[in-house]
Amino acid sequence: MQDVLDSLKKAIEEGQAKDAAKAVRAALDGGAEPGAILRDVMVPAMDEVGRRYECGDYFLPEMLISARAMKEALALLRPRLVATDVKPAGTVVAGTVKGDLHDIGKNLVCMMLEGAGFEVRDLGVDVSPDKFVDAVRGGGVNLIALSALLTTTLPNMKVTIELLKAGGLRGKVGVMVGGAPVNDKLATEIGADGYAEDAAGAVALARRLVGA
Amino acid sequence: MNGRERVRKALRREETDRPPIDLGSTPVTGIAASTYYRVRKALGLGDHPVTVGEPFQILAELEEPVRRVLGVDTIGIWNPTNMFGFRNEGWKPWTLPDGTPGLVPRDFQVDVDANGDTLIYPKGDRAAKPSGRLPKGGYYFDSIVRQDPIDEERLDPRDWAEQFEPYSDEDLRYFEDTSRRLHAETDYALVGNFWQGGIGDIAHVPGPGLTHPKGLRDPNLWYEYLLTHTEYIQGIFDIQADVALANLELYRQVMGDRIEVLVMSGTDFGGQQRPLCSPRLFDQLWKPLYKELNDWVHRHTEWKVFFHSCGAVAPLLDAFVEAGVDILNPVQCSAAGMDPATLKAKYGDRLVFWGGGVDTQKTLPFGTAEEVRAEVRERVRIFGRGGGFVFNTVHNIQARTPTENVLAMYEEVRAPARA
Repeated sequence: MQDVLDSLKKAIEEGQAKDAAKAVRAALDGGAEPGAILRDVMVPAMDEVGRRYECGDYFLPEMLISARAMKEALALLRPRLVATDVKPAGTVVAGTVKGDLHDIGKNLVCMMLEGAGFEVRDLGVDVSPDKFVDAVRGGGVNLIALSALLTTTLPNMKVTIELLKAGGLRGKVGVMVGGAPVNDKLATEIGADGYAEDAAGAVALARRLVGA
Repeated sequence: MNGRERVRKALRREETDRPPIDLGSTPVTGIAASTYYRVRKALGLGDHPVTVGEPFQILAELEEPVRRVLGVDTIGIWNPTNMFGFRNEGWKPWTLPDGTPGLVPRDFQVDVDANGDTLIYPKGDRAAKPSGRLPKGGYYFDSIVRQDPIDEERLDPRDWAEQFEPYSDEDLRYFEDTSRRLHAETDYALVGNFWQGGIGDIAHVPGPGLTHPKGLRDPNLWYEYLLTHTEYIQGIFDIQADVALANLELYRQVMGDRIEVLVMSGTDFGGQQRPLCSPRLFDQLWKPLYKELNDWVHRHTEWKVFFHSCGAVAPLLDAFVEAGVDILNPVQCSAAGMDPATLKAKYGDRLVFWGGGVDTQKTLPFGTAEEVRAEVRERVRIFGRGGGFVFNTVHNIQARTPTENVLAMYEEVRAPARA
């Protein structure tokens, strides 16, 4: 069994989606406990991918193919996780803010968060402040993650946070922001709880904000 | 000293009375139409509709009086067909989303959907699926990904061939006539917007100018395919480079020595923190083709090769230089590793910096006029030393940028020579 788990970890780290799917099937068939596969193999594999990105071994394409391998393995694992009542690390509502259609960075953040065991509700691109607020109002949300690429749409991050406050919801969720024109200073100014400069940083930030 | 002389000297790394200024010679050194409208009005040069010369990013086509007043030293010769695949001719009124009166080409065909988003049709063909979306309240179009289901067994780089075509006789006549006219009638440095060496430019992956793009068109998947389907990507790159090489020869025949600068590539290789791909992948997939194209230019012309890549590209600059790049744009100093003094010290003898004049993500749109002046002063001091610098903002001047900041920026660049 350890061979199978090792091959799963390697397949995710190296972005081999087909091999990852094959290994997760073999692990489940061999009787491995779904929660343990996620916790002890897949999450550490994505942590390793994040580490390789941070230290400059991996770039966007390597991150994307690893995230793809993780996603395909997770799709096979998820029904079993639900059946065994394994809880996610937290629930994140993510989206690119109003007026902005760019999503490569946001998608990568979503995939990395899923890879870290979070449940992600991806609202897509051009998401109005109202939509973010409605998603939070629905309940069960720990974090919202706002993304922007365009300088011109940056103000919509602040509008979203203001609307959460007006709705009395700001205290109920953590707010994380990211994207090319964003930085720490701006995150503080607009009242976010944190800024991450890339997808690996977003995972660390999300973990910190939910106290995981 | 006129603009052409000023740019020539800067390209030869000789100091000039002030840095040459570019505005609007390319679609990456321009100004948002709405900002242009306000600037022009503030200059007392009229409030007539703005000609939107680049509909994708909704950029203004500069007019002669504005060029003169701001001290612009360049003029671009653009491709007569734009990103959405129709010709820039037959102008008609269109009001920008923020109410600015504009003029757009005859084949600029749009619909507003139930969300209030504006959708545009490729080649002006309403029978096709829209290829661009301008979100309600937004300031640019973005490509709509029209991705047919992919059959991995049948992926063929030749699906992309329609995107790379030989110049038509009509295009070549346009280039020849325009370059002759601008060279004879103006004293600007002429910039040739070739762009066809932009190997695998992500902005063109969705094929916004095509009626029905075939093959891989989803930018998210594209970045994965660089690693998982490298042979397919290489095949597309090879087709593109072959056509670009053939078109370079045609371009040389009609442009001659009238242009100073050839805009070769707009492929973006940098994110805010690091390159978008590893230097190893760049060396494998891009560098040999860039070298072939740039070497051709250097062997056959006096043109300087202009290379646009946003972002943190410092780890790739040695490879750019080895591949024959002469001019780097937009010099995004806010990105990691792109410190102006370091770049100038390390690459000032090999690269001309065309851009980097002021940040457009923070300082110019959100700073005070005094902060803009201070940054411009600093950048001119660093990049301008010994020539090798053409002043331009880091990428286009964005919508909603305060007029006061734009005017302060140009005043500062034109300020009398400093001690």
